[in-house]
Amino acid sequence: MDSKKIEQLLEKYWACETSLEEEKTLRDFFHQSDVPQHLKESASLFRYFEQQRQQMITDVSFDGELKRKLEPTTTKVRSLLYSSLRIAAGISVVLASFWLVRTQIRDSQPQELTDTYDDPKKAFEETKKALQLISKNFSKGQKATANINLLNEAKSKIQSKEEQKIDS
Amino acid sequence: MNFESFQNRVLPAKNKLFRFALRLVGSEDEAKDVVQEVMIRVWNGREQMAEIQNMEAWCMRITKNLSLDRIRSNNRRQAQSIDGSFDVRNEALTPHESTELRESMQRVNQLMAALPEKQRQVMHLRDVEGYSYNEICDILELDMNQVKVNLFRARNAVREKLVKANAYGL
Repeated sequence: MDSKKIEQLLEKYWACETSLEEEKTLRDFFHQSDVPQHLKESASLFRYFEQQRQQMITDVSFDGELKRKLEPTTTKVRSLLYSSLRIAAGISVVLASFWLVRTQIRDSQPQELTDTYDDPKKAFEETKKALQLISKNFSKGQKATANINLLNEAKSKIQSKEEQKIDS
Repeated sequence: MNFESFQNRVLPAKNKLFRFALRLVGSEDEAKDVVQEVMIRVWNGREQMAEIQNMEAWCMRITKNLSLDRIRSNNRRQAQSIDGSFDVRNEALTPHESTELRESMQRVNQLMAALPEKQRQVMHLRDVEGYSYNEICDILELDMNQVKVNLFRARNAVREKLVKANAYGL
């Protein structure tokens, strides 16, 4: 590129009117070694910029060290997630089994006795009725067994008479 | 953002972050620490950064803030200790030419160091890293007008001094 055009670009550069591409053109131009004498001072500025761009992190260990510092957080987050899931699963198993056992126990046991009457007098009447019903049935049974007793008595009398005969 | 996209989107910017931090804090070791801290912050806050479009500009902004925090906490201005070590090894140059080049580099470095902080930051981002004006606004949290004014002043101050140095043969 001829130096006339470069001079024009430089004027634009000092006035801050150059685009990024035009600035790159200038940098590329001054990067070559044979720069006209009258542009030497501008050349030193652009070479300075170029030289600045060469500065880098030269440590080979930088990336590795950084990765080591970042990775614990990734594994930590992951292990935290896993362990909390495990804890949640354990808790749900315990809760489920507790619920199952509880319902089974409830099914196998008779329902609890509850009061059916508020008024003690009424309750007493009802109890009396129930007990009378039982005693009535008991007395029915007693009549039947009385007949059996008669039979037994008769049988034992006959048996004792027969034994007396044999003895004599 | 998973680790792979972090490696592809953020890690490659490390040298730009390093250079910017180096301009601000002045020491290579501290600049490296800053870059590492920026990376760790970006990684830890990756969930909130999903909608950030220009990740690199975002990282540069964090670099600027962390570097300035460091300068403040160290209570010292950046050491201008980057001079002296200009690597101008070039097969095509004679020893005389390379000495000349090294000297001119040092001269420009001194000019740059003499610039006010903001101007130097804007000039670095534009002329060394090639960021657009919009990106520079994002990184430095300035409006367009401030960015342009700072760049204009920086370039003109440098030009003036270069012309002067040349005229007096310094």
